[in-house]
Amino acid sequence: MNFMTGIIAVAIGGIYLITAMLLPQMRMGDRLGPKLFPTIIGIVAMASGIILMIQDKRPGKASKKADFGFIKHKDLWLKILLTTLVGIVYGLVMDSMGFILPTALFMLFISMLINKGRLVQNIIVALSFAVICYGVFGVALKLSLPRGFIEQMLPF
Amino acid sequence: MQEIFSNLGLGFQTAMTWTNIMWVFIGGSLGTVIGMLPGLGPATGVAILIPITFGMNPATALITMCAVYYGAMFGGSRASIMINVPGDASAIVSCFDGYPMTKNGRAGPALAISAIASFIGGMIGMFFLVFLTQPIASAALKFGPAEMFSLLLFALVATITLSEGSLLKGLIAIAFGLMLSTIGIDAMTGIVRFTYGVSSLNDGIDFLVIIIGVYAVTEVFKNLKDINAVYKFDSKSIGKVWITKDDWKRSIWPMLRSSPLGFVIGVLPGMGGTIATFMSYALEKNLSKHPEQLGKGAIEGLAAPEAANNACSCGAMVPLLTLGIPGSGTTAVMLGALMMLGVRPGPTLFTDHPEIAWGVIASMLVGNIILIIINLPLAIPLVQILRVPTRIMLPIIMGLALIGTYFLNYSSFDFIIVMIAGVIGYLFSKLEIPLPPLVLALILGGATEQHLRNSMVLSDGNPMIFIQKPISAVFLVLAAGSLIYALIRGKKKAA
Repeated sequence: MNFMTGIIAVAIGGIYLITAMLLPQMRMGDRLGPKLFPTIIGIVAMASGIILMIQDKRPGKASKKADFGFIKHKDLWLKILLTTLVGIVYGLVMDSMGFILPTALFMLFISMLINKGRLVQNIIVALSFAVICYGVFGVALKLSLPRGFIEQMLPF
Repeated sequence: MQEIFSNLGLGFQTAMTWTNIMWVFIGGSLGTVIGMLPGLGPATGVAILIPITFGMNPATALITMCAVYYGAMFGGSRASIMINVPGDASAIVSCFDGYPMTKNGRAGPALAISAIASFIGGMIGMFFLVFLTQPIASAALKFGPAEMFSLLLFALVATITLSEGSLLKGLIAIAFGLMLSTIGIDAMTGIVRFTYGVSSLNDGIDFLVIIIGVYAVTEVFKNLKDINAVYKFDSKSIGKVWITKDDWKRSIWPMLRSSPLGFVIGVLPGMGGTIATFMSYALEKNLSKHPEQLGKGAIEGLAAPEAANNACSCGAMVPLLTLGIPGSGTTAVMLGALMMLGVRPGPTLFTDHPEIAWGVIASMLVGNIILIIINLPLAIPLVQILRVPTRIMLPIIMGLALIGTYFLNYSSFDFIIVMIAGVIGYLFSKLEIPLPPLVLALILGGATEQHLRNSMVLSDGNPMIFIQKPISAVFLVLAAGSLIYALIRGKKKAA
């Protein structure tokens, strides 16, 4: 697990450090400017990663193997993947479709994913959540919410 | 002394408006409910409730967030006592004697002492907070960029060295957080950095989006494994939510001892409620005449950590309010939300906006009283929340997290960031990379870089400026000292 963490730190730190080195140098004032801080961070990330990897390779010091459970818990990962995708789509359609409809649909999808087989319960939760949130944030707290065709029909 | 009381008077003027009292009540109640949910702590509570503070003035917003924080602390132990599942890490110790008390038919006294000890711990913590903030803030006003850089460096280093876990993984988490903080247009030169051609990143990544991702979305992902958990308990067996004279005698000294301990731990960056509760429990075990009773339902074993935990939350407010440095995940979230509202906590908060700084302190006093009112007579109805199945709560938390994200910038791009942050947070938890240092570094990264660069400009590029300034040198020595301490501790553990 530590070895893998080390590899990630070295890889990300390395890409970051190279990008930092390619930033333009200022000619006056804050000469080290935009490069100095990122360079230090990149070095710290890489150095920490390398030490972690070396430590993990010492006899008797190896950490347990990283187990993300991609195969053992594939159902869980499928839920995470679907939730992530639907969450992103929810954000993308909200401005054009308004608040209540996409929120209710998102909640219904997530509820069906997590609370399988209880359609009526999930419909109630999804609709109540969308309507209550609209009431609290849009009406009571007067926060700006996207308006779709449902919101256009509402008096508030 | 007189100045402190007049400032506190100003604070009460701010806090005691009907609007603010109402929000303390609402925030405290919502925090209690969220704190009770297994796996969800104050940081998640504050993160998903950030949207309710939008549209409020900064004083009311901070007061509401403090109430959520406090409420979550009060609520966290309810799940420990009733179902042996801690609301968050700092409520683990409450399971040790809280749940055995429930099994022994003493759930009522357990719920009562939990609320009473939280109240006493909070009040003692408040006492120290009132008298400590002004001198620290006044001293911090004299800090220049070199001192501020060294202080921020110490805070970041201390976060990983004082807390449990791998030092190197903590350093990696800090580096990742700082990397994220540098994305976007450099405010001092106008150069675009680390956007890799994605124009939506030009304004940088909003740290609140990352915070919601790693605290709320990641927590939902973590809990997906246990979606079928149904917690059952018998409400009728709770009995009267109050304590006997003997319970009081056994609890009072442990509460009074643990509160100052919790406060001191709270002030230190990275230590937090978990360490405070474990240390107070260990202290009671050492001092108790009947240590064998602890762990079997001894009331003092519940009173001590509860008091320490709430005193610790007051301690955590000291560096946040006076230096603008959050010492824990929850205070980091609060700092982020405040910066969103245009308020930067720090020494100038006490001179520029004394009504906010002292209003918050006064509101915590008021909040403590309101929360004991919520948590004593309403203890039995409140614990019924524990019956709501996880599979219904998780979609609601996910929904609130995404709506909160939308309100931050009204940007659909943020949904991509928040979901990716959630997945990365989950992967990091599998690799045991700590998330609080990452969040802290992300929030403090901008200020740290700014002070570093200002110092270098002032000294014409000479890094000795950080050693030549005595206060800066002290912070650097402290940072080095905490690193050495962590290395020695690591070696001892390995041996």
